[in-house]
Amino acid sequence: MGSLLADWPSYNPHNFSQIRPADPSAQPSKLTPITYHPTHNRTLPPPNQVISTETRHILLRRFYQKSVEKLRPKRAASDNLTPDHGSKQLRGAFADGCN
Amino acid sequence: MFRSNNLAARVFERQILTPRPGTSVNLVRHFYENLVPSCTIYDIDCPDHSFRKFTDDGQYLVSFSRNHQDLIVYRPTWLSFSCKGEDCDAHSLPQKAKRFDSFFTQLYCVSLASSNEFICKDLFLYMETHQFGLFATSTAQSHEAPTTEGAIEGLPSIEKITFYLVRLEDGVILDEKAFCNDFVNLAQSMGVFLYEDLLCIMSLRYQTIHILQIRDSGNLVYVRNIGIFCREDDELFINSHAQSMGILDKSKPDDSSDRQVANGVLQLQVTQGTSFLSGIKQRLLSFIFCKIWNEEADPTLRVQHLKKKFYFHFQDYVDLIMWKVQFLDRHHLLIKFGSVDGGVARSTDQHPAFFAVYNMETTDIVAFYQNSSEELYSLFEQFYDHFHANSRNSLHTSFISSHSNNIHALDQLWCIKNKANSISQFVKKMMTSLPCTCQSQSPSPYFDLSLFRYDEKLISATVRHRHSTEHPIKFISRRQPNMLKFKIKPGPEAGGSDGRPKRISSFLFHPYLPFALSIQQTYMQPTVVNIHFRR
Repeated sequence: MGSLLADWPSYNPHNFSQIRPADPSAQPSKLTPITYHPTHNRTLPPPNQVISTETRHILLRRFYQKSVEKLRPKRAASDNLTPDHGSKQLRGAFADGCN
Repeated sequence: MFRSNNLAARVFERQILTPRPGTSVNLVRHFYENLVPSCTIYDIDCPDHSFRKFTDDGQYLVSFSRNHQDLIVYRPTWLSFSCKGEDCDAHSLPQKAKRFDSFFTQLYCVSLASSNEFICKDLFLYMETHQFGLFATSTAQSHEAPTTEGAIEGLPSIEKITFYLVRLEDGVILDEKAFCNDFVNLAQSMGVFLYEDLLCIMSLRYQTIHILQIRDSGNLVYVRNIGIFCREDDELFINSHAQSMGILDKSKPDDSSDRQVANGVLQLQVTQGTSFLSGIKQRLLSFIFCKIWNEEADPTLRVQHLKKKFYFHFQDYVDLIMWKVQFLDRHHLLIKFGSVDGGVARSTDQHPAFFAVYNMETTDIVAFYQNSSEELYSLFEQFYDHFHANSRNSLHTSFISSHSNNIHALDQLWCIKNKANSISQFVKKMMTSLPCTCQSQSPSPYFDLSLFRYDEKLISATVRHRHSTEHPIKFISRRQPNMLKFKIKPGPEAGGSDGRPKRISSFLFHPYLPFALSIQQTYMQPTVVNIHFRR
């Protein structure tokens, strides 16, 4: 295997003539690469995860982000202010304001 | 980066060079430093048409006849001539090659406008995927428009505006849409915006945004009209409930069943007495209300804020009209609101303008800013390319230099910002460029600010007329400072000796070839056309 290169044409016939064949005991074809397996499953993705491109470009995302910040009603810390419930909070606010 | 400036060396280098990720186009564009339109043919003998623009894919040159009634389309070719001698480079171009026909082949001449109509020279939008061109013809503008129900007063009216969709390959008119007794701002394509296959037309007089889709077959199809109604079935819903709710004006019972159909939008008889604000106006007012409501947690302060910020200005908000609109993506529009006098006047002080981002699918207003808003300015500075709404289909539009993608342009912007007297004046001045005008910039790499430095007052990527200058316009290489790459001399070869007549020049650059036309118009004298190309 080591003398493969010596057979190839070269402009100087002495090129690649010094190469010795590789150590036969360490022939790469017999070696299998080491594979690594995780020992825990903490870093597994959630089973229903789908990764896709965000359809809105960054400018629109910024507009939405700023508007969510502004439209989120400012309440005391005890209230639950998750974005999912933002719309419900709003309706409650109106009801309070009208009464 | 190429190590050498020599063209042949760069070609060899390109074989082995791997550019940084995502910059292969930027690297290849460096070849434009070597291939420049340095040769000029002055005052070429060409047909007397007004040349409008090269299409962005470089396939066609669009021009209009002098009487503004015909469309003439040329195919840009390249001259070819053979030279029998030994040392051909030294020979100058033979006289018979210096003709307009050497560079352009006329494809067809199509008549768009009939007797009393004229083609609007400023309006030309190109849909690259199907090679469709959008043109408009209009009759004369009249300032004394009869007041019609639903129409805004104080705006001029045009008897008929017709939009034509033409297949540029063969000049076949595929579809047309007419707007009667309406006003669309056709100057510099400001009232129309094309994004992928969606077209939006801002009808100022009736305050309606018409969204149309250009189908593959070439038909223009109405998608929705935004103005009085937001969703497609709003009209049906309101009409079916109108009688039972008694919304229509009770003082005129004989007119209550009168319906006027104008431009495909059913107009309700909204007279002075009604306070029913519908459509986009309602969305806007409720958004402003919610925003102010949520700013303050304390109920008393909240009501005070509302009084001061909302109710005090309520009538001003109601009187706002839409001036200009553009797409931000397929579902979002950026709409400029202003007062009725505001659109006409240049000064931004007395007439504040507002910008709203509107989602067409959910019919919600997403954001609302005044034109002096620094928040909006910071988005403008960082994400200007996204305001231009470049579709993913066309590649070259992403390489047009702007202050968001080019450090030199950003530098220029900051210079202006630092020199400005007040930040708010500067912000308002920058905001006048929003919403963006569609396809207003040439994609030619000679305008790329990272390749060349040039005087932006004399020439720039924006296609518009400028006052001519006697001196040639220099394009200096950016990467080898002070090395002049080429000059464009718009004037006649000898140089005009008389400074009396005012000359206006415009430049048309081919999107990717080293080829440009400079057109000089002098009052009461024939137009001079020069061709600049690489020999």
